[in-house]
Amino acid sequence: MTIYALYIYDRHCECIYYHDWHQTRKPQPPRAGGTYRRDVARYDNDGEGDVATEEEVAKRKGTVAGLPFDEQAKLVYGVLLSLRNMVKKLSGRDSEQFTAYRTSSYKFHLYTTPTNFHFIMMSDPLADSLRGVLRQLYVGPFLAYVVRNPLVDWDREGQDGKESREKGVDNDLTSSDTRDR
Amino acid sequence: MSQQAKQYKAIGEDLWKNRTEKVNAELFSFTYGALVVQMIKDYENYVEVNKQLEKMGYNIGTRLIEDFLARTSLPRCVDFRETAEVISKVGFKTFINITPTISFPSATSQQQSPRNEVAGMTGPTEFILTFDENPLAEFAELPLDAMGSKYAKAAEEKKVLNWDQKEIGGQDEGLWFSNVLCGVIRGSLEMLQMQVEATFVSDRLRGDDSTDIHVKLIRIMEEEQPINDE
Repeated sequence: MTIYALYIYDRHCECIYYHDWHQTRKPQPPRAGGTYRRDVARYDNDGEGDVATEEEVAKRKGTVAGLPFDEQAKLVYGVLLSLRNMVKKLSGRDSEQFTAYRTSSYKFHLYTTPTNFHFIMMSDPLADSLRGVLRQLYVGPFLAYVVRNPLVDWDREGQDGKESREKGVDNDLTSSDTRDR
Repeated sequence: MSQQAKQYKAIGEDLWKNRTEKVNAELFSFTYGALVVQMIKDYENYVEVNKQLEKMGYNIGTRLIEDFLARTSLPRCVDFRETAEVISKVGFKTFINITPTISFPSATSQQQSPRNEVAGMTGPTEFILTFDENPLAEFAELPLDAMGSKYAKAAEEKKVLNWDQKEIGGQDEGLWFSNVLCGVIRGSLEMLQMQVEATFVSDRLRGDDSTDIHVKLIRIMEEEQPINDE
């Protein structure tokens, strides 16, 4: 089993954490002047600043790999939101949970806490359910390094806790990666 | 006790016994007492101290709920009655090892007050938590000027002896010593999309018969939607 990427969204629908383990190309920096303020991902910086110029964005248009990170993050959340709403509408029950979907190249796992934190993980299409792993992530590193970190501005959470969190998540997933393989 | 209530009690006890890191109870209560005293010295106003304690509690609650969910993995409550059960039997039990008694005022006093309707909720929308014991106030005693309107009035009429004449504002309202608990309840429920109002209605420290917190559901909050800029 291989894990490709992890996204964490807070209850303001903002991506607060992103990590990619198997990506060859780093995500493109968000567009200049956008509302996206967070320094969540490690961008593909070719010596330029933190944001991409309009020119670069225009050049990259049309290729998925060239999506700026803010748009990518928004699309991932959009998928989550619309699929979840559709699932609820189809079943007519509010308690119906949307947990995963699969394409020919990856599987999308979702774990949502009752406080509306969304943990999303991409893995290879043949993987088993990773909700247990995502929950462990919430109970373990997320609680220890984010919730209990006094430096994290909780409601508008900054990136102060990012380093230690990254370490924790990395350790955890590398171990689950090798264990399950 | 219903089946459900028993089940929550068992969960709460198990969590307290096996999965809670403990600190010395006396240290805890003295530290809290020292904190409140320092705040009174700094603000010189009981109303302001109540407000700040509530705010501190709110900030604690917003994070504490994550800890709580991570430990219990309980599903979402179906109604507010269940919420009350969980707060009392699992929440308070896990964190400070007490189980406040729940009562629902709406069942008895419905005629007097207009029924508090909340969209999308069935069952009661308010409850009262009665604390038989309160670890926060274990060693606390309030001075007369902190006991609220009863005594403020008596003092005006010079009926109370040894009235503390220190210049501390807000003596009419007095101090709600454990007001931090109200904040914790409000903060944690808000993270679960329930906006509530939690207030002390009586406190043994003030010479009342019992210590009660009134919790009232205001509304169920909508989940935030991403900003659409396309």
